[in-house]
Amino acid sequence: MDRRSLLKTAVLGLALPAMVPLAGCAGPTRRGAVRFEGWDYEAQLVQQNVDRFIRLNPDVEVDYAPITSAQFIQKLTAEFMGGGGPDVLYMYDDSLASSVEARYLQPLDELAGIDEVYQAIYPSVAQAMTYQGRRYGLPYYTDSQALIYNADILAEAGYDTPPTTLDELEEQALAVKRAGLLEHPIGLPAQLSDTALMWIWALVYANEADLFDEDFQPVMNLPGSATTAVLDWLLRVSADSQVLDPASVQTLPVPMDNAMMAGQYAFTIQPRYSLRNYNDPAVSNTAGAMRLAPIPSIDGRTEGTVSNSRMYCLNLETDVQEKAERLLHYMGGLDDDGSPYTARFWFLERGLGFAFTDLADDPEIVESLSTFADPEIYAYLASVARARSVVAVPWYAEFEATLQRTVQQVFTGDRTPAQGSAELERAARSLARRYE
Amino acid sequence: MTTPNVPPPDVRPPRPRPSRPRRAVPLRYRVPWKKIVVYTLAAFLVLYLVLPFYWIFAMSFMREVDAISVPPNWIPPHPTLDNYLSFLRPDESQALVGGRAIRETPFALGNSMIVASATALLNLVLAVPAAYSFSRLRFTGGRLLLIGYLITRMVPSIAIIIPFYLMIRSMGLLDTYWALILSYLTFSLPVTIWVLKDFFRAVPRELEDAARVDRCGWFRTMWSVFLPVAAPGLVAAAVFSFMTAWSEFMFALFMTSTEAAKTIPVVAANFATDMNTQFTLMAAAGVVAVVPPLILVLIFQRLIVQGMAAGSVKG
Amino acid sequence: MNGPALIVLFSLVAYPIGYSFWVSLHQQNLKRPDDTRFIGLENYFALWRDPTFLSSLRTTGLFVVLVVSMTVVLAMILALVLNESFLGRGVLRSLALLPWAMPGVVNGLMWRTIFDANTGALNGLLTDLGLIDSYQAWLSSPSGAFFLTAFAQVWNTLPFAVILLLAGLSTIPSDLYDAAKVDRAGVFQRFRQITLPWLLHPLLIVLILETMNAFRAFDTIYVLTGGGPGDATSIIAVLNVRTALTYTDFGLGSAYSWVITAFTLIISVGYVAALYRKGSFEV
Repeated sequence: MDRRSLLKTAVLGLALPAMVPLAGCAGPTRRGAVRFEGWDYEAQLVQQNVDRFIRLNPDVEVDYAPITSAQFIQKLTAEFMGGGGPDVLYMYDDSLASSVEARYLQPLDELAGIDEVYQAIYPSVAQAMTYQGRRYGLPYYTDSQALIYNADILAEAGYDTPPTTLDELEEQALAVKRAGLLEHPIGLPAQLSDTALMWIWALVYANEADLFDEDFQPVMNLPGSATTAVLDWLLRVSADSQVLDPASVQTLPVPMDNAMMAGQYAFTIQPRYSLRNYNDPAVSNTAGAMRLAPIPSIDGRTEGTVSNSRMYCLNLETDVQEKAERLLHYMGGLDDDGSPYTARFWFLERGLGFAFTDLADDPEIVESLSTFADPEIYAYLASVARARSVVAVPWYAEFEATLQRTVQQVFTGDRTPAQGSAELERAARSLARRYE
Repeated sequence: MTTPNVPPPDVRPPRPRPSRPRRAVPLRYRVPWKKIVVYTLAAFLVLYLVLPFYWIFAMSFMREVDAISVPPNWIPPHPTLDNYLSFLRPDESQALVGGRAIRETPFALGNSMIVASATALLNLVLAVPAAYSFSRLRFTGGRLLLIGYLITRMVPSIAIIIPFYLMIRSMGLLDTYWALILSYLTFSLPVTIWVLKDFFRAVPRELEDAARVDRCGWFRTMWSVFLPVAAPGLVAAAVFSFMTAWSEFMFALFMTSTEAAKTIPVVAANFATDMNTQFTLMAAAGVVAVVPPLILVLIFQRLIVQGMAAGSVKG
Repeated sequence: MNGPALIVLFSLVAYPIGYSFWVSLHQQNLKRPDDTRFIGLENYFALWRDPTFLSSLRTTGLFVVLVVSMTVVLAMILALVLNESFLGRGVLRSLALLPWAMPGVVNGLMWRTIFDANTGALNGLLTDLGLIDSYQAWLSSPSGAFFLTAFAQVWNTLPFAVILLLAGLSTIPSDLYDAAKVDRAGVFQRFRQITLPWLLHPLLIVLILETMNAFRAFDTIYVLTGGGPGDATSIIAVLNVRTALTYTDFGLGSAYSWVITAFTLIISVGYVAALYRKGSFEV
């Protein structure tokens, strides 16, 4: 084949696959179908659940599209801006306020059966789904941050109880390190991401403190602030005793899970549901050794942690209102017999924390829970957990980004803890001014 | 075709001492400095170019345990095709999360092929006349227009992504191939015109003049005389635009939502985020994403590189 | 003859480009839909007062200089080597195109597994070679993250530059070199007096396009570091995406984009002017 005929063949070869399917390419979105979008956590399981919904509601079609979690909020922005947001969607409590302000979401106060749902869930979840007095969501899951430790490693280092103060945590980690068990016994997921860095909130909340007061005024830079003390500790464990892994700043929550299951760390702070995988012998090398504990505080006299909620919301302008409501109820509400099918499904499948108080006594749930966690501590963590009230400001996303950046800078020694707190206050005030 | 003799700039080859008559030199043994330098550099470059890719390539044939072992296994100790097979049989995959991305990978590959090929083709169709005019005709505002093309490319795509999304949506093209092809045209067309213009300039004018004497029409002249000579340039330009379309992420993420049009970078991103961390699957997806354009490039590399030379030296 | 291209390009980008510039002159944030108004250049002034933007400007400048210079130098060496005849040249030519086939997102993924602190290949390699004693968290220090991100970016964009330079090299008539050899010009002299002037055109395109690419490098950085640690790798493009799409502040976000455009334009004009002085040069 000479060059010319080779080229001509090549052009044809390029053209054919390009042109054939173009002929018949109409948009695949079906008219009248409910468009349902969420971040891509366990998309296959979601699809399974959606399929069950369709079997129960043969007259409803659902187009489910999972979106890369790192770009979930960004894609929603584009879709809503173009007037084409999904009918039913996942929502982070972090982004609820801004989504309502941007007029993405429909208040659900008129939704049939909404009162029953809100009465059946923990008040903190109800609060997280309410913005300026109106209710916007049905619960997907809620969970609290916990100190998770590897009891086997602790035992080898000579400890049989988990630390209750930050000093003890450092001390136990040092013992693990000196015993030659692990180079860096503590790992924290501190990579920058669109969702909140929950462990830093948990460490502050453990002291019954907060970064903001009830009027959303920053208090993290006041004298004696718990935030500064926590940042101090962070600097100490990363720079002085070096028990905190420097790789943390490049670790997202799921890689942190993998490291825990590989036995690379003795301690981390993650949501309670992580423990289900940690203690599952099918996927984890450390199964059976992983335990929950309350978040250590500065002096050990206070206890607390932070919880976050994920919810299902409804598009403000949906063409399929009635069908979307049915899907919404199926996902986040109660069945005809009054039980939350999807919430149970997620707990039994993946251990995701439930928002419905009654489920705590459900025999099947209790049995499943006891396979991976101590039910007593599990319930205790829920009872001391508080939701972040500051997520109710429309500039929360901007503040969270500053928080993550500042935490990383304290980690790497680019800012002192005092400078860190000052920067957080400066950022919060300037954001509040911009959004006045 | 002769290859110009350019020694690499790094090392000075020994120069014959001026006092010595030149003829005496070949009789003595000379250290082939130039060869040494070229081969050393070539060896380093091979390592630089290939090692990173080799790592994910090797990883894609490993079991997860072997892939994360310390010290690393440079050669898969228990080679397996499981990672690749899981794209074909997603339900049997061992992946805890990310099953959806695995299922979508084969579709995404097809979509990417179609979108990138169509982009490349349309690019040529639109850019050839434009580039020809810049290389052959002097017209008022020509230079300005040429610069204008490039300036449209200087606006970052993020600036136009939202208005572009609105346009595509109002045309009802969301989640179709056209949404992507049209976006990629805006990226690659200016560059294609610039690249082609340079290639076309190097094609000797005499060719066309000869054809014109034979009373060929313009289209005939272009098709049977000009374009075949400029073919290597066309191939290079097509490959440029193919690659642009193949790699693009943001527009693909926004304009598509189902496997009807999702492209490989969008699906690969699912392996990248915090929801999935199985290294070996990620590596296999990476290899799969690289292989089709790589094959294309390999087929065309002779034409791209040598052809460029052949088309232009005579100028 | 520019008709088709012009019509297509114009109809596709005129509205988006005009729109984004218009928005950049407005206060427009999705979160405050009732507070959209024309504010002239206020967004641009706001940027100059924003310490985050200013520090990112410095990072971006360094990043662009580092990436572009590394790309040009490496591409030049690679092109010169590939222009020689030697055993295995065809193979190397093919290999040189390999990184090009890799989407930015996949490139980021690949380097992430390589730089990984616990199981990464870089750690393994350096340990095997005896250069380090224990595994390092390469991306955890600001400077480490910065250099390695630039490195990953260069790897990805190198082939494009190589192709253009190689094409340029092969257009140089070889009798020029023969003549120069007769004149006893040294290697460097020959490079400066023959190779470089003949390469001005491709070099200009390489410089402009690589500068553009470096200014808007997003995919690789986003996957590799997300802009961290701290703000070590948050170049303007990263802030731009975050401001527009995460914070939904379109006014400010568009202003970011236009700052990037302005910088690319100014630098490109600078290149043209500098190369113009070097020799007879027309666009």
